[in-house]
Amino acid sequence: MPVYKLHYFKNPRRGRAELSRLILSQAGIEFEDIRFAHCEWPAIKPITPFGQVPILEVDGQVLAQSNTIARYLAKRHGLAGKDDWEQALADMYAENIHDLLNAVAVPFTEKNPVKQKEMYQKFMRDVIAPHVAAVEKQLKKNNTGFLVGNELTWADLAYYAYFSDFLEVKFGSAFLKNAPHLKALIDRVKDLPNVKKWTEFRDSTYPEENE
Amino acid sequence: MPGYKLYYFNVRGRAELARLILHCAGVPFEDFRFEGKDWPAIKPNMPFGQVPVLEVDGDKMLAQSYTIARYLARQHGLAGQNDWEQSQADMYADCIYDLHGIMRTPTWETDPVKQKELFDKVNEETIQPHLEKIEQHLTKNGSGYLVGQGLTWADIAYYAFFTTPIMTRLGSEVLTKAPHLKKLIELVGNYPNIKKYVETRPVTSA
Repeated sequence: MPVYKLHYFKNPRRGRAELSRLILSQAGIEFEDIRFAHCEWPAIKPITPFGQVPILEVDGQVLAQSNTIARYLAKRHGLAGKDDWEQALADMYAENIHDLLNAVAVPFTEKNPVKQKEMYQKFMRDVIAPHVAAVEKQLKKNNTGFLVGNELTWADLAYYAYFSDFLEVKFGSAFLKNAPHLKALIDRVKDLPNVKKWTEFRDSTYPEENE
Repeated sequence: MPGYKLYYFNVRGRAELARLILHCAGVPFEDFRFEGKDWPAIKPNMPFGQVPVLEVDGDKMLAQSYTIARYLARQHGLAGQNDWEQSQADMYADCIYDLHGIMRTPTWETDPVKQKELFDKVNEETIQPHLEKIEQHLTKNGSGYLVGQGLTWADIAYYAFFTTPIMTRLGSEVLTKAPHLKKLIELVGNYPNIKKYVETRPVTSA
């Protein structure tokens, strides 16, 4: 078994490293979950491949870029999809979430609370609602309860991380009222024993400051 | 050979990487380019209301530009020789995804003076520091390519980014301090299939 060291900031406690942590936890793989304070960052930054985190150390070699790390781990540990086409579909869903993470960064970083509330409302209406409708359609079409094929992949973990562990926690479930398949999927992932074990450990061990 | 149909607007934009990969690999495909006025009719048929979309054998659709590029690279020998190399290629492609994101604001700025200002800012704050790292990686890898010993879609992604219309127009000094990358980009541009495609592709603003 390779030795994995995942490096990321202490805050946010989930951020762009969380998907990889979920993949490793679901697959039952041990890893060193390194979380450093922002004051340590100036010393760490120059030794990363591109001046960014997360990075994954694998037996001394280093991989950067959050989705690349997640995909690598998913492939190594049976969560990537059963063939080239399924792997591509999983990539597609993961890239959707990557876009949504970038899109929500805009209201998330708005300092004015009145403006921020407006921006979030617009975001939920113009970005999230159409996407939820499109994913619901794909889930119905696939008809297995999973996004890709008939088994859990990192795509399902990515959708859980964004829609359940982030949006539902922040806004409640109203935005999912017309998406029973998506709701059922993220609820199912939430209750997977290894996922539950990880989130309970995480929430009781690491203080939440900002997500 | 599967039947590929690539749906996108008649610009380079987010489909160009897939087009370059297919041309480089000598794989025939339908390069379906449509005008803005036709988009409302096409949009509902796309899985997430966006393009590019790759339709395979008339019935399976794949969305998301980097997913399409990665899939085609893997199918046609441009992805890397093993899991680790494939991840390295993914990593470099993700860097280009980020650079394209930051280049959006200057690209869409219509005032030419303001555009040059924004471009220079992005170059100084983000591109130049990134190029310093890329030069280190290229030197360390030693083959002239970003990943392993041969061409991968990572090299093509860097080629595509550093030859966009805005880069061509405003970025003549951008690669001055990045001789290894400059050489790599020239190398990619000289691959016969890429050269031929670039000489004959539609001339578009983006």
